[in-house]
Parts: sequence; C-alpha cells; structure tokens
Amino acid sequence: MYTEILLALVLGGVIYFLLQRSKKHQLKSEDGWWGVGNPPEREGDVSIRPYTVQTDDEELEDLYRRIDQTRPTSSLEDSQFNYGFNSHCLQKVVSYWRHDFDWRRQVEKLNKYPHYKTNIEGIDVHYVHARPTNLPEGVTAVPLLMVHGWPGSFYEFYGMIPLLTEPSNPGDTVFEVVCPSIPGYGFSEAPHKKGFDSVCAARVFHKLMKRLGFRQFCTHGGDWGWLVTTNMAQLEPQIVRGMHLNFAPPALLGLTTVLSLLLGRRFPKLFGFDDVDVQHIYPVFQNLVVETIKESGYLHIQATKPDTVGRGLNDSPVGLAAYILEKFSTWTDRDFRNLDDGGLTRKFSMDDLLTNVMIYWTSGCIVSSMRFYKENFSKLEQPHSKMPVHVPTGFACFPNELVHTPKLWVEQKYRQLKTFTRMARGGHFSAMEEPLLMAQDIQNFVKTLKKE
Amino acid sequence: MKASEALKQAFFSLDASQRQLVVAGSAVALGGLLTCCYQVYRRRKTQNIPLGSGWWGAGQQPRSEDEKVFPFEVQTSDAEIQDLYDRIDGTRYSEPLEDAGFLYGFNSTYLKKVVYYWRHKFDWKKQVAILNQYPHFKTKIEGLDVHFIRVRPPHRHGQRVLPLMLVHGWPGSFYEFYRILPLLTDPRGDLAFEVICPSIPGYGFSEAPHKQGFNSLAAARIFHKLMERLGFSEYYLQGGDWGSLITTNMAQMKPECVRGLHLNMLNGKHRGFGVLFAMMFGNYLPWLFGFTREDVKRLFGSKGFLERNFYELLRESGYFHIQATKPDTTGCGLNNSPVGLAAYILEKFSTWTDFSNRDLEDGGLERKFSLDDLLTNIMIYWITGSIVSSMRFYKENMENRPDHIAGVFVPTGLAAFPNEIMHVPQVWAQDRYRNISSYSYMPRGGHFAAFEEPQLLADDLRKFVGKVEKSG
Repeated sequence: MYTEILLALVLGGVIYFLLQRSKKHQLKSEDGWWGVGNPPEREGDVSIRPYTVQTDDEELEDLYRRIDQTRPTSSLEDSQFNYGFNSHCLQKVVSYWRHDFDWRRQVEKLNKYPHYKTNIEGIDVHYVHARPTNLPEGVTAVPLLMVHGWPGSFYEFYGMIPLLTEPSNPGDTVFEVVCPSIPGYGFSEAPHKKGFDSVCAARVFHKLMKRLGFRQFCTHGGDWGWLVTTNMAQLEPQIVRGMHLNFAPPALLGLTTVLSLLLGRRFPKLFGFDDVDVQHIYPVFQNLVVETIKESGYLHIQATKPDTVGRGLNDSPVGLAAYILEKFSTWTDRDFRNLDDGGLTRKFSMDDLLTNVMIYWTSGCIVSSMRFYKENFSKLEQPHSKMPVHVPTGFACFPNELVHTPKLWVEQKYRQLKTFTRMARGGHFSAMEEPLLMAQDIQNFVKTLKKE
Repeated sequence: MKASEALKQAFFSLDASQRQLVVAGSAVALGGLLTCCYQVYRRRKTQNIPLGSGWWGAGQQPRSEDEKVFPFEVQTSDAEIQDLYDRIDGTRYSEPLEDAGFLYGFNSTYLKKVVYYWRHKFDWKKQVAILNQYPHFKTKIEGLDVHFIRVRPPHRHGQRVLPLMLVHGWPGSFYEFYRILPLLTDPRGDLAFEVICPSIPGYGFSEAPHKQGFNSLAAARIFHKLMERLGFSEYYLQGGDWGSLITTNMAQMKPECVRGLHLNMLNGKHRGFGVLFAMMFGNYLPWLFGFTREDVKRLFGSKGFLERNFYELLRESGYFHIQATKPDTTGCGLNNSPVGLAAYILEKFSTWTDFSNRDLEDGGLERKFSLDDLLTNIMIYWITGSIVSSMRFYKENMENRPDHIAGVFVPTGLAAFPNEIMHVPQVWAQDRYRNISSYSYMPRGGHFAAFEEPQLLADDLRKFVGKVEKSG
C-alpha cells in the first residue's frame, strides 16, 4: 500500500515540478513601520546609543517571590520527560535558581561586550558589537552578523565570540561580531503592528549593518536565524559575502528530495547519503513524520495563538523556565526524553541556561517572541521559500539537529554550497553547546571563501 | 479540441491554489482508493470492546478498596482568595498588536477588562454557594477519588424518573451543566431525570491519576462502576467534547447498561475516498454522498470544504497538538498564573462558540455567557490546580485502541449544533453509530452546547429519550 501512495506522491511531485519553472527572481521587500500609531513625517532618530543590561533588588525580589509562590504538579510515575518537563527535575532547577544562581554576576558577564540600541523602522533594535582587540597590522576584521532563534538569544553566541574575535591560531580570520536581537526578542523592542516576519527582520538587519558602516559582511544563523539570514541573502546577495548555517530544513519537497526519500535507502551512494544520513532518515515515517508531530506542538500553537500560550508564561518564571528548558533538553538529544533529569546539565551549565531564561523573563518578551511564528506561517507558501539562494554558503551538519538535512537537500536551495561539514557531536543549540567546533567550521568556511 | 487538450487547458486555466488542490486530490485519491478497499474489507465487525482493568493511585495497589460514597462540599477560604488576588495584581501584561482582535489568541486589552471584573466584582463565595446547591459526593474507584453531583427531581406521583449521566469535556467541567440541570429535573411533565454529573479523573474535584495510560476507556469503565455503585443497572448518557468519547466508549463496553446515548459533538472517524470525493464534488452533487442541504451549508460554508474543515481545524488545533505531546510543560505556567489560565481557557469559550468571534476585539465572550459563569468554571481549574492533569488526558488518548474500529449499537441521538468545531453529517456518523434514533440540526449554538443553549439541548434530549422509551 505504501508504494502506491509514494508513487502517487511522485506523480504529484512531477506535475508540481513541471509547474514550477525555475524562477530566478530576487526577493523584494517594501519598507515597514512597526512603532505605535502612524509613522512620523520626518525620518526618525538614527543615532546609536550605548546600552547596558541592568538589574535591581526590586526585580530580583519580585522573581523570588513568584518562585516561592509556585504551585507544582507532580509528574506521572516513571514518565521522565515524555510528558514534557519533569516535575522533580524542575524542582531542582528552581531551587538552584532561587538560592545559588547569581543574576548580578551574570549581568556583568552579559555586559562584557558593548551593547547598543538604535531605532529602525520605528522600533529600538538591540545588538552586541564585539570588536577584536589584538588586530595585527594591515589586517581588517571580517564583519560577521550572527542571528539567534527561539527560544534562544544573542547570549547563545557568547562562547563563540572570543574564538572569533581573538582566534588563537595565527592563520585564522579575525572577525568583528554583531549579534542583534530579533525584534520582539530580548532587549529589542517588539513590533506593534501585525506582519513582522523573517523578511522584515532581514530588511531591518540590513539597515542595521548599513548604519554601522558595513558594505559587505558574512552571516551565521541557526533556528530562526537561518531563515532571517537566508532572507538577507535573497534580498541583497551582493552585500552578503558568505552565509554559514547549522540548520536548513527543506521548505518544499522538490522532485529530487522526494526521489531521494524513496530510493535513498536502497541506493544511498546515488544521493550522496552516508551511514549517518541513512540512520537519521529511515524509517521515514517514524523519523520524519512521527517525530516531527511529537515535537512540533509548540510550533503549532505558537503559529496560531501566540498571545494565549505566552500569557501565563510572562507571570510565572517557573512556567517560563519549564517551557524554554524543555527545548534545551529535547532538542539537544531526543533520547534525553527518557532521562529523569532530561540530560540538561550534560552539555550546558545551569548558569548559562538560566541566563537565557532571564533574558526572556526580565524583558517580558515571551509573547512577542512567539508571535514571530504566526507571522512566518500566516501564509502556507511564502515567495522566499521557493527562491533559491545564490550566495556562497557553508553548512555545519550536527548529528542531533532537529531536522537532519543531508548535503543533497541543502544543495537544492543553496546553489553555491562551498562547505558541508559533518560535525562530530552537537544538537540544535550547537553554538552554545559546541562553540569550539562551530567557530572552527566558520573559520574553515571563510578560508574557503577567501581562496576563491 | 481533443479531450486531453481540453483537460490541459482547463487545468492550466485554474489558479495556483486550485491546481495544487487538483494535484493533491488526485495523488491522495489513489492512495485513498486503496485504503478504502482495505477498510471495506475490515469493516466494523466488533460489537463490544473489552472492559479491561486498571489502578491509578500512588505507589502500590492495596488489597482492598473502600467503596463508601462520601458527601463532599466545595469550600474556599480567605487565604485562597487573597492568594488569587495577589497573583492577579502581579500580572505582567504584554501589549497586543494593533487591530488584531482575537486572531493571535486572547486579546490583552479585553483580558484586562475580564480580570478587572474578576478582581473587583466577582464574588467567589457566592459562586461556591451556587455550586453547593446540588449535593456533591466522592467515592474511591480504581484508586482515585471520583467526584460527582447527584440531582434527584422532587418526588411526584406518576412521573417517570430515568437515570442520566452527563459527562463534560475540556476546558469545561461539571459546572457546564448547571443551566440545564433544572430543565432536566423539572417536576412538571411526565418525564424527569435523576442526573449524575461526574468530574473526569484529573479534572476539577476528581483526583488525578498517578500512573500513565489513563485514557477515555479507563474513564468509561470507572463511570460504569460509579453508576453500578449508586445502584443503577440501566441509564442514559449525554456528552460533548471528551464526554462524547467517554460515553461512546461506555456504550461500546456495556451496551446492556446504556438505554440511550445522546451526543452534541461527534467524532469524525471517517476514512476512505468517500471523504475525498465528497470534498471535491459534495457541493455540486450532495445527493450522491447522502448530504442534506443543511449538511452542505455546514460543511462547505462560504469559503469551501478545505477552508472550513481543514484550514480552520489547523488554525484551531494548536492546543490539541501541544497538549497531546507536552502536557506537563504547557500546564506548568498556567497553574501559577490565574490570568494566564483564564486567557487560555476563555479563548476556547470565545472561539469554539463561533469562529467569527476571532475578529472581534472582545471575542464575543459575553454574548452567550455571563462572566460569573465563565469565571466559576476557571476557578474550578484554579483552586484544584488540575490544569496539568486535565491536559494529560489528550496525550493518553493518542494511542491506537480497539474502540476505533468498534461500532456503537445502542440507540443514539445526535444534536448537530451549527457552530460546532466540525460538522459531521448523519451519513458519516452512521459509519460508527449504527442505531441512530434521531439526528437534529440545531438552529443555533456552538461547542459548549449545554452551557450556551441549555433549553435547546434539553428539548432535543427529551425528544430522543421519548422516542427510545416509546419503542421500548
């Protein structure tokens, strides 16, 4: 029976492919305005203001009071993380948060690199700008824009920044790193109007880089950062010198992808599949369909009712922590679902995990962060999802990434794939989990770019 | 023009989305055709589903269980109310997007109004007295304290009294039936009901299961045991939402005990290419599929089958998806934020009563319900802290079970409300419910039928029961 269904799919795919005559359009985008009310007559403030992350006693006391007021619900016996965040584990995390976590010290750590804010299209965009300190004579630093995703933040890149701005290897490229917060996330103001999707974010970040004086730069992105940097490359390909990704789920099922799914098990070499690929893709139904359904509930509700689902999380720090940290557990390794402690501290320190959660908590941005899902899924078909990318691309394939994409699939969209590296270990939050491996791959990619 | 040329032209003259529809339709039709052949072969043959057994308490099962029925009273305290107020006062609101209505979920601006009423006007002590107007009880079954209310009509000579169990769903509770109860236990007329309204374990005042696997079959079995313990051997059942599935399971498990089954929400478990072709041609050839004009109106609406049944369902089922996979995560924050809980639950009372409520700034919430009633329902979730366990029920019911294939052979009455989430025509319902005594198109009402249109539901229930009793 399955062969008939798959044959029918192929038939459908062929017809679809024929209808989709290859379009080499450039992505277009109109200007937007996301502030309150109507846009002003004259151009807004374009100044760049330094920003410092701050906290005070009141903020901490409010947090502690809410933590103390938590009404826990016991998890079912022997359910580990299969029903979501386990209550026993949550109790331990919260206890650390309440008694051992030092937010003031973490704020100092956040302020290690200079932060700024600038007003673009009516909203304040926050970013971290880390400049190299030991630049050798005659060498210019390569500007690198790094974009985070959900439920992450600019903080995910803190482990990598020193490796990029002050590489130990003399042959390595020195980077000047800009890590913005997507509007609606962290310290960036949330849009007040409907319709702020990844293309809008891409446009805003182009304006940011222009305002900072960069005429060409490289990008790195994972999760939403993947889509925003992809859109940036589609909007202005001459400006994006190279783009590095660790996440690139196929948006459309083209003919090649479908064929590779059907026949890849029997003829892996034909499609460039190796053992790791085969292991992650087959059996297709279990790995691609069932697993996706199991893990995409959050995506479904955030893409339809973000204001509802985020509402309680902005009042309950423990609820927020459970919601966010569940992803840091499951998206790092699916097998962590069967562990009582969700394997949280195997790859991350509790301090790092909670700092990321505190960014969501202190800025109160959980609802606006979720709205990004709805904005991006409002139309099931976006023009940019059909357009290929012609900017030189480097892809780091981490073994435990949420969606496994073999080289063939990445090439379907990224027509100038220069490097495709199989990483030794790491999951979805690879920048935070394996900063050294990621930084090395970026170095490798940029070296390849320079050779050409 | 040759036929192939004409077909090609016709195909390319359609716009992109229609073309995709045809392509998708043909591709799936092939698969569907084969599935249908397979299904026809495996047609519903089973009559009863096994009763099964279970124990859901904490730790090890003891040798014997206390079978007494204890009276129970809903209580509250100043401390409880003060804690609620403190949390409400500590709410951190987020600004809604401009002109978004309820399209992104519960609108923050309107939420503030609801919360203001809750904080300053809503009288919980008065509502508790209203809750206690009917006698409440608890009894231990399979390791769990099961809560229920039992309402007997005042004794009247010559009046027939039939036992009836009403089962609620999510995010409702036994309280949804408080408006229909007086209509069913009315001392006038020659037929009245003795009504039992339990709380599903994990909801409200019923203890939550401690073990994994508590699904609708377990709930059905426990409710049968409850009726047995109360001395009933034959009874009627009515349900919507989860109540619909549980009462259906009850009818499948012990049909000899169920005199009649009345539902206001149907499970659309239909497969086969019938649905595919109905989707494409049902609008034009309704008689071919057994649709009435009303069916066509409700299935296709003004925007077409795909939009009304597929896309709408996709838009509205995010909660289902996340609760069926990560209930512990989703419910955690809601158990600590009363405003978050209110937004989450009330969004359903807005949207599932009428989809067009999403376009309104106030979600049309107070058009059919009073704030007192809505908030009382929420308070039941809040004071019992049962939101997480209520969500787990979604995950527990995901596994493949025998009842998916088994039919229902007890006399069934179906009330189809126009604004229910999905319309199931009689011809589709017959696939599962083999003994439909009555199928009524209700003139108005949505998902929370008992709460919203108690008179209409009560009338239909009486009509159905009358029919069943007459045929004896």
